[in-house]
Order: sequence, then C-alpha cells, then structure tokens
Amino acid sequence: MAVAFAAAIAALVPLLTSSEFHLHLAIVMCLNLLAVNGLFIISRSGQLSLCHAAFMGLSAYVCAIAGKMLGLPFLAACSLGVVSGVALAFLLGKVVLRLKGVYFVLITFVFGEIFRLLVLEAEHFTGGASGITGIQPARIFGLLLDSKPAFFYAALILAAGSASLAVWLFQTATGQAINSVGDNPDLAEATGISVRKVQLFCFTLGSSMASLSGAFMASYTGYISPESFNMNASILLLLMMVIGGRKSIIGPLVGTLFITLLPEFLRGAVKTQNMFYGIVLIVILRFLPDGLASFRQRLRAQRDGNRKSHG
Amino acid sequence: MQIEYLLVQSLINGLVVGMLYLLMAIGFTLAFGVMRIVNFAHGECYMLGAFAAYVCVTRLGMPFLAAIVLIAFAGVAFGWLIESAVLSPFRQDELSAMIVTLGLAMILQNLALLIFGAEPLFIPAIAEGVISVGSVVVPKARLYVVAISLVILVLLYGFLRHTKHGRALRATVQDAEIASAYGINPRIVYPLGFGLGVALAIVAGGLMAPIFSVSPFIGTGPMVKAFIVVILGGLGSIPGAAVASISLGLAESLGSTFFKTTSVDIGIFVAVMAVLVFRPDGLLGSAHK
Repeated sequence: MAVAFAAAIAALVPLLTSSEFHLHLAIVMCLNLLAVNGLFIISRSGQLSLCHAAFMGLSAYVCAIAGKMLGLPFLAACSLGVVSGVALAFLLGKVVLRLKGVYFVLITFVFGEIFRLLVLEAEHFTGGASGITGIQPARIFGLLLDSKPAFFYAALILAAGSASLAVWLFQTATGQAINSVGDNPDLAEATGISVRKVQLFCFTLGSSMASLSGAFMASYTGYISPESFNMNASILLLLMMVIGGRKSIIGPLVGTLFITLLPEFLRGAVKTQNMFYGIVLIVILRFLPDGLASFRQRLRAQRDGNRKSHG
Repeated sequence: MQIEYLLVQSLINGLVVGMLYLLMAIGFTLAFGVMRIVNFAHGECYMLGAFAAYVCVTRLGMPFLAAIVLIAFAGVAFGWLIESAVLSPFRQDELSAMIVTLGLAMILQNLALLIFGAEPLFIPAIAEGVISVGSVVVPKARLYVVAISLVILVLLYGFLRHTKHGRALRATVQDAEIASAYGINPRIVYPLGFGLGVALAIVAGGLMAPIFSVSPFIGTGPMVKAFIVVILGGLGSIPGAAVASISLGLAESLGSTFFKTTSVDIGIFVAVMAVLVFRPDGLLGSAHK
C-alpha cells in the first residue's frame, strides 16, 4: 500500500521537473534502491555483505559483454547477467556463509577486491582499467529506453517491485524465518530452522537484486569500469542501508534518498563530500542507531518518556 | 644458478612483505582481541603512518629511525584518542562499531587527499648500497626494515608478557568479563589495546614509506592482506597471524616471480576459500567464533 503510494508520487517526478540532472538523480536513486533492498534482505538474515557492488559489477559486465560480443538483445543479456549473479552468489554463499559476523564481513570484503582484480586481469573481455564503452541501451519488448523519462519509469518499476517484494517477503512464513535467524540464530536453529539455508536463500536473492540493478546501470550509463564496482561502491550501498535504518523496511528508501540527495546540498564541496558521509554515518550511528527511519519512533518514545516522568 | 638466484631473491622479498603483513595483522588482531572491533580504518592508519614518516623525514629533516620512534608513540596516542572519543559508545555492539570504522576510514582518506593531494610522494632511501652473499644481492634498506620490524615485535612481546598493562591486555583478550572482575580497568585497557593496534599499522606504514610510494590510496592493499592473514590465522591469535603472514608474504613473492601479480592475488584468494572449506578454524585451528 505504502509502496504503491510512494511509487505514485515518484511517478510524477518527470512531470514536475524538466531538468535532466534531477531525472538522472531519480534514476540512480531507483537503481540504488533496488540494490539496497537486496542488501537489506541479506542483512535481515544476520549477515552484512561488503561485496554487494561486485554482484552489480558481475552482472553489468556479463550484460555488456553479451550485448557487444554475442550481439544478444538487452533482455537476454540482462537475464544472462542476473543468472550469472545468482549462480555466483549461490556458490560463493555455500562456502562463505560458514563464517559468521565479522568473519563474513571480512571475506566478502576480500572477495569484492578480488572481483575488481579479476576484471582488471581479464582485459581481453572487460577492457581492463579502461572499461567498456558504448553499451547498448535497454530495450524491453520493442520499447527502446534511450530517453531519460522512459528509463526512469523502468527504474521506478524495478525499485517499487523490489520494495514490494521485501514487504511481501517479510509477511510470509519465510520472512518470519529470516527474522528469527537474524535475531537469534541459535534459537532459530533449535526450533528447526536451517540457519545456513535461510542465509543462503537471502544471500542469493539479495545478490540477484544487486545483479539486476547492475545490468540496468550498465545500459543506463553506457559505460562501466572496474572502479564503478569497487569496495567504495559496496561501502556506499551499506552506508545507505545503515543511515536509513537496517531494521526498518523503509530504511533502504530513506537511506538511498538521503545519500543520493545529500551531494545536492553540498554543492561546491565535492572534495569534502566523502568526509561528510563519514561524519554523518558516525553521528547517526551514535544518536540514531536504527537509522533515520527510526527518527519518528524515537521522538514518540521521548515524548512518552517525558509524559511519564511529568505525570 | 639463475633459478637459484631468483628463488633466494624472492624469498628475501617475501620476508620483507611478510614482515609488513605481520605488523599490520598483529595490530589488527590485537585491537580485535581486546575490543571485538574490526577496524576498517586500519589501512588508513597505515597510510597516515606513511605520510607522517614523509613529513618527519623530508619536511622536518628528522633521521628515519627517530621519525619511526616518534610516530609509534604518536600512533598510540592517536588510537587512544579515537577509541575514547569515537568508538567507546559502541563497545556493546560490534557490527555498529565496525561500520563506524568504515566512516572513520572515509574521513581519514579524504583528509589526506585534501592535505597532500593524490600525487604519489617519495622518501629518499634510508640506506644506500647492497649486501652481497655469493651471487645474492640484498639492498641494505630492506634489511633495515626487517630488522626494525623484528625489534618492534620483540618490544611488543616483552610488553605483553612482562608488564602490568600488557598482562591486563592479554587477560582481556582471553576473557573480558573475568578480567574486569579481577579489577582490570576497561577504561585503560580498551584505548590502550586499540592504540597499540593503530600504532602498529602506523609504524608499518612509516617503515614501508621509503620502499614504496606514499599516497592517500596505499592503505587498502595492506589491509586486504591483513584481513586474509587473520582469516587464515584466526582473529585474535598472534601465533596464527605470524605463521599466516610470513607464509602469505613468501607465497606472494615466490608466485609473482613466475606469474603476474594479479594472478597470484586471485590464486591466494582461492587458497583462502579452500582453507575455509577444509579447515574452517584457521590454519592453526584457533576457533572462529
């Protein structure tokens, strides 16, 4: 319901602004939201992934190469990208999900770095450090998405779809199993839930959402390089989730909105922008550990607390 | 003869990088052991150390050894300050603390970028000339680095073994609750543990500055290696870190004599995955918990 409402409002964006740049921001935001929702699902199962951008990258590269070298149409190339993301997430997850907590974070971080090196190394296919240019624009069922408004609607559908998927998922029995695994894995295991299976499911699903986002990102920008998907990109996605709130379903939305729009208010401070991200991150974790999405609850709790102490 | 020469040469290079990884990994694992905090700013501390050495040597004209001693103490103070000012509210929540260090890393890297710019800087070599044994030639500068690293590790060992605060640190690593029940003050031990960890990264950066170049982006590589070392050796385990980092340094150096560096890095990652599958408790069997 809320998702439909938010999507309806967002759908008006192209009518409200004629600025190409605003539309560009909206598109980037939608594609980021798709990826961050995936990260959110992984995080709900109790694991923080720091190689999320690597899955975006894998799929972006597969999609771009399939389009350029094999001449596949966009939809087929994009599907190929997502399938390879799913396959890699499943195989990688099988191995690295043995690790818990900080060990998992470390190994995913290392994997993200290795992915970057692999792309640099496979120069013949990936163009090495100079990347791939001239990637085909998205075309879905004969509809060419080469203008910004057209692409925006496609991105919006993806973003809204990913949010609906998350909302729906956490209302099902599977969603409850995911929550219980995230809250207390030992207890979940004792009640007959397979922690490994649930986490593998979340890791594969979440990473597939990153893959989808990556394939669209590649066709939107038309250019990809190893640095588009390095560890800073993964960290930025994590930042969006944490700043928004990693416990609340609207956290990813709030976080992507905040991080995408923040540079707009910091114009002329490009150099200090990343420093500012770092400071915001620390301040929010200190004073709003459950992210911006918890701000209203926090206010309410404080008001109730005041009432109690006065009454 | 040719191949022998290559092998010995790369063994020595491997030892030098292994030492670097060891300093990084011990600092990382010490901070983790004491505070349960994964410090993602560890690589940026390495980078700061390199810049500190650069400023001390080229701008202030200090001798290299004096600069290293100075930045070691400054490093402890810096880590102490970060712990008590930024990290202390997150002592109960290791994931939040880890994300906070990601924020710290962003701040430190961009601060360095702002002050020094992105162009790589260089420090003159700390020693001229080579020592040759038979046909094997070793630059003196690299030998000095290994020697200084060894001295630092021996000092650290002595501190952890034989002083009151060192013992308090080790007790906290083993069991924080029991340690505090025996009257060990967390307000000293936590900043001290983190400060020592940071200082080791900073010293590693300072030591490597004359060998490699200095720029705001040099921290990531050594940090990734430190991560690999602690995954292989087990977080919080110093003997594990020692075995893992020297093997990693040697494997890398030997590998890159025959293959491309990136191929070696990828091979090492595959090996790490294999270790995770077949020996999930790390090479020495210290448990992953």
